[in-house]
Amino acid sequence: MAKERKEIEINSRADTLPLMGPDVRPWPVTPPPSPEECMKVYEKRKAGEFGKFLEDNLRLEYRFDKPEALQGIRVMAMGKWRMCNKFASGLLSELGAELINVEPPEGDPLRELTPFGREEYMLKDKFGTPCGMDFLHELRNAYSITLDIEKPEGREIYRNLAMQMDILIEEYPPGFMDSLGLGYRHLAKLNPKLIYCWVGERGQWGPMKDEVSKYGQWMLDPFGMCACSWVHNTGFPPDQCPRGGKGGDPMRSGVWLADYVAGEQAANSCLAALYWRDCLGNGLGQFIECTAAETLMDILDFDITWYGFNKSIKARTGAWDPNLNQYEWNPCKDGYMMIGGQTDRLWYRIGMCIERDLPIFGRLIHEDPLLKEMAARNALQALIKTYTVTTKWLRDINRIEAEQKLMEYEIAAGPVLYIDEVAEFPHFKYRPWVNTIEDEQYGTVLYAESTNAYQHRTPARVKWLGRPLGYDNGEIYKRYLGFGPMKLRELKDKGVI
Amino acid sequence: MCDIIWCKKEKDGKVCDTVNYLDPYCFWNWEGKIACAECGTVYYIHMIQGHMYEGPDEKAGEKPDIYPLYADKPNDGYSNYLPGIEGRTRPYTCLPRHIYLGKADMVKFSARGRPVRGWRPQPPSAGVAGSHGYFWDIEKLSPEVWAEYLERLAKGEVKDW
Amino acid sequence: MEDKDLQKMKVCNFEDLDGPKSKEELEEMKAPFEEYCKKVFDVGNEFVKPDALKGIRWMSTTMYIFTPHSVTNLAELGAECIKVEMPRMGDPMRHTSPFNECYLYPLHDTRPMSGTGLGFVNANSNEYYITLDYHVPESKPVFYNLVKMSDGLTECYRHGTFDRWKQGYRHIMEVNPRFIYVWGGGFGYGPKIFGGSYDILGQAHAGLASVTGTHEDFGGHATKASNWCIDWYSGSQITTAILAALYWRNKTGLGTMIEFSQVQAATRCLGYTVPLYGRFGIVRQRWGNWDTQLCVHGIIMTGKSDYPDEPNPQLKYEARYVMVSAFQDADFKALCDIIKKPDLFSRYKTHKERVGAPAQIEIYKAIEDWAADKSRSEVVRILKTEGLLAAPVMNDKEVYESEHYRLRGTVRWNDDPLFGDVLIQSAYSCGLMSRTPRKHKWLWRPVGADNVKIYHELLGYPMSKIEEFYAKGII
Repeated sequence: MAKERKEIEINSRADTLPLMGPDVRPWPVTPPPSPEECMKVYEKRKAGEFGKFLEDNLRLEYRFDKPEALQGIRVMAMGKWRMCNKFASGLLSELGAELINVEPPEGDPLRELTPFGREEYMLKDKFGTPCGMDFLHELRNAYSITLDIEKPEGREIYRNLAMQMDILIEEYPPGFMDSLGLGYRHLAKLNPKLIYCWVGERGQWGPMKDEVSKYGQWMLDPFGMCACSWVHNTGFPPDQCPRGGKGGDPMRSGVWLADYVAGEQAANSCLAALYWRDCLGNGLGQFIECTAAETLMDILDFDITWYGFNKSIKARTGAWDPNLNQYEWNPCKDGYMMIGGQTDRLWYRIGMCIERDLPIFGRLIHEDPLLKEMAARNALQALIKTYTVTTKWLRDINRIEAEQKLMEYEIAAGPVLYIDEVAEFPHFKYRPWVNTIEDEQYGTVLYAESTNAYQHRTPARVKWLGRPLGYDNGEIYKRYLGFGPMKLRELKDKGVI
Repeated sequence: MCDIIWCKKEKDGKVCDTVNYLDPYCFWNWEGKIACAECGTVYYIHMIQGHMYEGPDEKAGEKPDIYPLYADKPNDGYSNYLPGIEGRTRPYTCLPRHIYLGKADMVKFSARGRPVRGWRPQPPSAGVAGSHGYFWDIEKLSPEVWAEYLERLAKGEVKDW
Repeated sequence: MEDKDLQKMKVCNFEDLDGPKSKEELEEMKAPFEEYCKKVFDVGNEFVKPDALKGIRWMSTTMYIFTPHSVTNLAELGAECIKVEMPRMGDPMRHTSPFNECYLYPLHDTRPMSGTGLGFVNANSNEYYITLDYHVPESKPVFYNLVKMSDGLTECYRHGTFDRWKQGYRHIMEVNPRFIYVWGGGFGYGPKIFGGSYDILGQAHAGLASVTGTHEDFGGHATKASNWCIDWYSGSQITTAILAALYWRNKTGLGTMIEFSQVQAATRCLGYTVPLYGRFGIVRQRWGNWDTQLCVHGIIMTGKSDYPDEPNPQLKYEARYVMVSAFQDADFKALCDIIKKPDLFSRYKTHKERVGAPAQIEIYKAIEDWAADKSRSEVVRILKTEGLLAAPVMNDKEVYESEHYRLRGTVRWNDDPLFGDVLIQSAYSCGLMSRTPRKHKWLWRPVGADNVKIYHELLGYPMSKIEEFYAKGII
């Protein structure tokens, strides 16, 4: 089939916009592998029957045919700016909880954020209102309502909603809700079953609790990452890249990772509290607090423990891991190639693969008595040596070649992929881990699929993404508080919703 | 040669025979002069995308810009120069302490001075099938460490934090 | 009036009415918020409170960090968790330690010179440790006896391995239909089903590394988070699935199978990256220590470390980075005044203008120029005095010494039953809970330390049988 040729002229970014999009260039660009091809993969390891069992029972396509684990649980999310609130409540709503996202009448400012301020990369809903992609992607299966809790009437409405909730996840600055009489101690009196979770960067109490600037600006991620030594630990040493913005500084995660980590632990804490309340028959809710800094600190491997052991302060080690060998990525012909395999079995297999092309690897690495013991291979000098010679091999091949070569030896190896490559990676397309949804409001959107969507009985599901501001005021206020259109009109006029 | 410089320089009738490792993130794109960790011979190299575009060319009498991080001698029982030996290897700038061991640190007391089981060997203390109870009887198993702890305690060297 | 007449008029109970009813309650409502928080969370007294997951028993046939962490979360929340390892070897993670320097001994009586490396920390806290070699046919009834007594299991073997060994989901469900079976790995069903995976593979393969670090135009590389963040973070998401499955099982009596892929989880946290590519074909790149959506909101380098005389290089050279945030107009204006560049504000009055890439480069350079002759603490002090948001990039020592974490109990010392004095950063830092707080009991135990406890006391094997299993290397 002959490809259609189009004459195009690009003078500005605006000219590029119509060139992409689900209608012009649908995802995936090339079709995913077929189930038959996968069957061959399963058969190769004599796991055909098992593979078929997985495909028949876990496939993402069947998720809407199955029940929801948290059906009947009501969650209210009350926050702005950050991801933790949205990720926490999103995990629950993907698993079937009903989620009400409360925003002030002017909306969550996250709606307005877009990379480098480029409004052309926001998506418009049917009313023509643009919405930033972070907000859109992270607000999942949520009803959007507006409410001004700084007005007395708004506070009353908030209380009445909270009385009907199982879980309330809130992320306003420390003590703010409490000062309005809407804190845990007030709401728990009205609804003792309420599970109330505060999320934030460093805490709602304590000497380093979250701050608000003199001018009212909130503290956002990466303040959490900075407060727990995560940033200090990440990045290339100045010896490998120069300091001062040239690659050799401590480094934040490119994404608001601490917020995501706080979000998932908030969801876990809420679910554990729910289990205790309902399944163990205690009937009581509780107060929970999850912070970005601390939940991230929980997963800083052994770092703080290490300080207590011999006062070591974890330092950044670039793309090499100081605890395992091999376990790193190094540059190759067309990017970076990650290789992992620490136990003797895997380590020598990696070596055999490299030695086939680069015989000197055997002489320098395999024969070195210092590298023969698994734990000793983690010493700094062992890393320098192993990775220098490994890169000598990598510089001549590109990522795909390296991956194929290492796969022959069944090594866990993979290239550093960019998002366009991720979206087209066969396994990602097959599952699919990036997926499209035809959203009622925003059209076809590519999104990262829920991680809990692959289950036999109660898979998580994404029903919709984002939501126009206050879109569900009518339904939610009627359903929960009995407000009809006249009442809503009145509240709107008063600026309460 | 590239990525490593296997120095074959003859000095005083002896071949240097040392492998200098050019670690990839520093040298992937790099131009300058590097000294052999063993014999100090200075080589000019110009590396582009990990390949030796020029060099290594010996530059007698010139000063090096850089040293390798690590070097060893495979033909001499893999004897080596660890990072940070002055005049031979450059220091690794991101170490967790001012000292570097690269082998197990035998620790008997935690940062606040209380006993922690960070040394070997430990006297065997398991029961049937490798099972252990929930009590480290340090006084019985390691009386010398217990005695040292009591001493530290008396001297006020044991802290709460 | 008769008492019963009074009763007739009664419409509610006094106790049910709102408002403080006792002096104690009045005090609680009046307490300043911070005092109230301290009181309800009651840090340090966690052990007088109940366990959220009391009565749940979970098997952890796992290795490394990712799948073990899904179980640690349960163990910290009060479930009884049993870690199953290979006899005498244990989890490979036991053999990892930073630069090979830090181990706690013993690993096992038969290997007096081996310890468990700090790499194992936090991934398996509070669990019971048994050994079992599944390769031996005699292990099968032992395994099934345990399955019958448990609520669920997390495993991480190559997909289909447990099934081949006849101990997979399909087999277990026929023995215990309430069982919740978790497989965690890199990929799951599909073309790369048998691909192995690690944290670093998730970081590399799923796009996270491509957006973390300094852009190559500035000289930087795709940067690895030195912590195994994707392992830990994915493990916690498994816990979410497990807890929801437990809740649903309580209603229906049915177990389930959860297949969880950590590589996917790394893509899940990329936010706008995915939809931006899908709609506009834009491939997100690295943007270093700045923020693609907010300016000023980034980490800057100052001129001097706060501890120039300390021997530790991490203190001597590295304590010089500051997180500065002033993206709202008023904050940015104040920042421009402080660094004596009011013209920056007049040129970039709106957030839309200053968040553009060239503007960011110019603005951060101006801030770093201003900070070039100052130390980290000076910069933080000046900015905070003017009411702006700023914070030092803290290192492990500072985290340890922070009054904040100490008060909140999220960094604390534990008197470990077998290993002595260990500093811990886990469990309590996952979240404070007022009624059912997480607890840290022990860091880990030697390989097979609870063999007698589980095989004899729980499953009823006679001691002679256990010794026989041990001699044969089955346990």
